[in-house]
Amino acid sequence: MSVEERLPEPSNPLGMDGIEFIEYATSQPQAFGALLASMGFAPVARHRSREVMLYRQGTMNLIVNSHEAGTATPQLSAIALRVRDAGYAHRRSLDLGAWDMPTRAAEMELLIPGIHGVGDSLIYFVDRYRDFSIYDVDFLPLAGADPRPPALAGLHWFGVVQAILPDRTADWLDFYQTLFGFSVLPQGKYFGVLPKGTLLESPCRKFYLQLIEPPPGAEEVRWNEELVRVGLGAPDVPRAVAALRARGIVFVDRGPVQPSDKGALTQPYLGGVTFELVVSHLAP
Amino acid sequence: MNLDRFGMDTVTLAGSLEAKLAAMRAAGFSQVMLNSTDLVGHPGGEAAAITAVRASGLRVTGFQVLRDFEGLDGHLHAYKVEVAKAMLQMCRALGARVLLACSSSSAHATGDPERLVADLRKLAMLAVPHDIRIAYEALSWGRHVNDFVQACELVEQADRANLGVALDSFHFIASGTGLEALDALNPEKLFLVQLSDFLWQEARSPTDRIETARHYRVFPGEGVHSEQVATLVRRVDAMGYRGDYSFEVFNDDYRSLPPTMVAERARRSAGWVSGLVSRRTLPARRRRG
Repeated sequence: MSVEERLPEPSNPLGMDGIEFIEYATSQPQAFGALLASMGFAPVARHRSREVMLYRQGTMNLIVNSHEAGTATPQLSAIALRVRDAGYAHRRSLDLGAWDMPTRAAEMELLIPGIHGVGDSLIYFVDRYRDFSIYDVDFLPLAGADPRPPALAGLHWFGVVQAILPDRTADWLDFYQTLFGFSVLPQGKYFGVLPKGTLLESPCRKFYLQLIEPPPGAEEVRWNEELVRVGLGAPDVPRAVAALRARGIVFVDRGPVQPSDKGALTQPYLGGVTFELVVSHLAP
Repeated sequence: MNLDRFGMDTVTLAGSLEAKLAAMRAAGFSQVMLNSTDLVGHPGGEAAAITAVRASGLRVTGFQVLRDFEGLDGHLHAYKVEVAKAMLQMCRALGARVLLACSSSSAHATGDPERLVADLRKLAMLAVPHDIRIAYEALSWGRHVNDFVQACELVEQADRANLGVALDSFHFIASGTGLEALDALNPEKLFLVQLSDFLWQEARSPTDRIETARHYRVFPGEGVHSEQVATLVRRVDAMGYRGDYSFEVFNDDYRSLPPTMVAERARRSAGWVSGLVSRRTLPARRRRG
């Protein structure tokens, strides 16, 4: 599926250029590490002073933070955005009414500025990602590890799914449009196998956010505002599903959520973490 | 009209927070409009106040009041942003989904509409992650914004989903605002209606209005503008407003009477107001608390 009709060029006030890393917090980094390995991620470096690990797969950086992590079930705790000037992005966000990141949450030795996102999550701004890597300073490479492990079946970041409370779509649209320049895709333009909610395209057109209100009739379901899962793009979903199944990953295979050419959803692991595959034209 | 749509303000009653909440419940109210002093002035501290509110079973209509936020520069602006953030955190802790923000009466504030719009947008943005709506109210003695129509215009220009207006019948009537002010308002942008009347015909000067507003308000049906209050309520209902009504009544005498007695007066007033409009109107869709 591709977005055939390009809307007029949206503004990109921060010079956004994709996702630098996704961070999870968990008090069980070994169990989560094993799951990530099954998903094709390889550990490549360890933080110099804290219980933080860097995993990588192709273009994707994934940080597992166990420093003072409260819950065993891995929680999506941060999105780091590549921007032109991190200091500017941070100041502009605060001027527009974003909440500054608490200093104690700054897990990096390098000063990576950030703001509060949904729930307890943070949004970091990273501007050093071309000729210099933030990981070179904060992390020690694992001996013998390939620093550039290839992606399994061309997997790459496709997007992040965020749960929101009823009637909150407009509020969060204001948030993402005003602070970052995200634009809303027309209703009906869906990707993957979970067609619901509202899709926002990043101003750099390199990833998506999906906002989902609770479905009708779900009044009894516990529904918090939080980041719920990442979407991994795959040029060929059945091939990616086969490769992941061979590594032991189990996909939901019932009702409308079945692996297809469009996408697939893993079963919940470790008490609730899932990964979604989405057919993707986004070049890794 | 459903009585569940009415709440009392804690500012109307004397006594401890617990006594006020108990009086409201005993009078049959199901919601309460809280004031920041209810929390910060509680002898047991904020946590005890929050516990008392949650234990009361009353739904929190909203939280008041953020003053003099918009139009400031430099360190004054930064200072007010910190105040606003602290209030939003109190709202969050209380489960209050509406923060009332009054138009500035500060001599240091600019009246530049562009600046006011930018500041209202910033306030709304601060409130988004906490799931709080900002209800902007024109004080009739506001320095630059002192009329309901002006507040509506700024809110419309700011164009943020969680930013709306609060209509206070006192300010509306005291400043002589015409009902046509409601014509252009999208009912979904009306976040709160505060009802009260007062004891004399006119409050012409800003000083008169401040004095009257802070000491001599009464419940709807008890004052001398009953017909105007009734017309306003009917109009607001007819335009499709399905949100909450709170009794914003500052009255020194009421604060000298037992809270149960005053809450009973409020209950009678709620009956009077609800009798003004058709009972066929359905309550607004409520999120589970």
